[in-house]
Amino acid sequence: MDFRGILDRLRATGAPGLLGHDLPRAADPKDKKDKGRGGDPFLWVEPAQLPAFLERCRDDERLRFELLIDLTAVDPSKDDPNLWVVVSLLSLAHRHRLTVKCALPKAAASLPSSVPVYRAAQWHERECGEMYGITFAGHPDPRHILLPEDWVGAPLRKDYVFPDEYHGISCK
Amino acid sequence: MVEAKTVETQTLPQSAPGEREFMLDVRTQDMEVNMGPQHPATHGVMRILVRADGEVCTGAQPHLGYLHRCAEKIGENVEWLQYLPYTDRYDYLAAMNNNLGYSMAVEKLMGIEIPRRALMIRTICAELNRIGSHLIAFGTYGLDIGAFTPFLYMFREREWMMALFEKICGARLTYSYIRIGGVFNDAPPGWLSEVERFCDTFEQKWQEYVDLLMVNHIFVQRTANIGVISRAMALDFGLTGPMLRGSGVDWDLRRDMPYELYAEIWKDGVFSIPLGRGEHGTLGDCWDRSYVRVMEMIESIKIVRWCLGAITPGPVIADIPKTLRVPAGEAYVGIENPRGELGHYVVSDGGKVAVRCRVRGPSFTNLAVLEELMPGALLADAVAIIGSTDIVVGETDR
Repeated sequence: MDFRGILDRLRATGAPGLLGHDLPRAADPKDKKDKGRGGDPFLWVEPAQLPAFLERCRDDERLRFELLIDLTAVDPSKDDPNLWVVVSLLSLAHRHRLTVKCALPKAAASLPSSVPVYRAAQWHERECGEMYGITFAGHPDPRHILLPEDWVGAPLRKDYVFPDEYHGISCK
Repeated sequence: MVEAKTVETQTLPQSAPGEREFMLDVRTQDMEVNMGPQHPATHGVMRILVRADGEVCTGAQPHLGYLHRCAEKIGENVEWLQYLPYTDRYDYLAAMNNNLGYSMAVEKLMGIEIPRRALMIRTICAELNRIGSHLIAFGTYGLDIGAFTPFLYMFREREWMMALFEKICGARLTYSYIRIGGVFNDAPPGWLSEVERFCDTFEQKWQEYVDLLMVNHIFVQRTANIGVISRAMALDFGLTGPMLRGSGVDWDLRRDMPYELYAEIWKDGVFSIPLGRGEHGTLGDCWDRSYVRVMEMIESIKIVRWCLGAITPGPVIADIPKTLRVPAGEAYVGIENPRGELGHYVVSDGGKVAVRCRVRGPSFTNLAVLEELMPGALLADAVAIIGSTDIVVGETDR
């Protein structure tokens, strides 16, 4: 199924938390500042509803996204008040992919954990959480995964300030 | 290397002198054993905290991050082309495939058309690298569980493969050869015929590996019925590659979501997708995963041969500027790496540097299943289970 088909199916079945979609588009010739957008289409989903939405994607007979391929986040820019959490799904049965996005305010970056739906989310959420300072509520094991347990700050945020030293090791 | 510490001190019952030592020996209590960070079976710097009750594992907790080199942060700070050498360094056993995945993601955003000869060379290199990677995976797996000789044999063939890569790009491990828009340079004279000779030799040697290790009674005993991953569990944990196919799930991106030339190759009926069948034990056990890897090597040879037959002269790189400006947008590209789906999710705002350069390493996801596999396994099988996940720590930690 292509993106349009997936979107129609999700709308027809009233998928929880679906806010809208974003398609690649050409630049507007009248607006010089508009560069357009290339690449993949994606869906916007309400963060609080993300696990319920993923569950729907997984269990719907026509969609059947059996695999959670990736869960990560993006900090679009220093000035943007939001972070995006990006989930990539893959269906083996129907051979299609889907990208799902949630916008989270940087000041209160928290959303429910998707581990009950896909256990694959467990390590991805740990990594995403430590790198972007996002709290996944209800995560069974919210320790750091790649960073040391005492690392301060969220390194992949654009406003991250590199530390001068770590346990006496100079980071300059 | 392996240090044991008792976590729970039980109060022993009052006993006669001399009997205490005996009790210490036989009583069972949970022990925590550190495997790593420097352990030959972890194939890199990784620590697995194994909890064991006597000879039985009751839990395992992988501790990652010893090889974390901030690849994704670097990706947001260097230009698009400059990031390419960093891709070599996550799965350093399959650097060609990593180059390919990253290049394809950027190409998707830029909408570049790749010359056909470049696609052919890319496919040859990616498949040769898959063979090299599986040789290491299978060879070191034998080594882990006590078979030293096949490992050395496999290094002999891998050496040839690396010499081939050295001839085409000058590097033996970190190639940066597959570039955005094509490949760095054309194959030197005689290179393609040497690849053909490699294929001829490899097919014979491959049979030796099967005889020496794959159907070896000791190997079968050590791997069959060990570390069984069911189909449902494989899907739940998001496993990909041989880990998924070992559990009998018929999925290969090269066939099911074809990229580059694979649609054409598959249509010609060149290769097939080996699946675990539970031949010597249960479906999805360590033996099945090894079987898939071994069989994939010979399928890769078939693909290389197809390319050698179909390759025509022509340009090898599209016309791209030195400093890339990638159009605004975002793209996800997943390719079939030797270890599973390698995903690159790149976000651009139209500038010289990426906004986000996410790497979805198959080793990272595949390793997560360890926490589930280990409880209940014998301590002696721990190494067999870890080896069968075929992780590259450079990729789990990035």
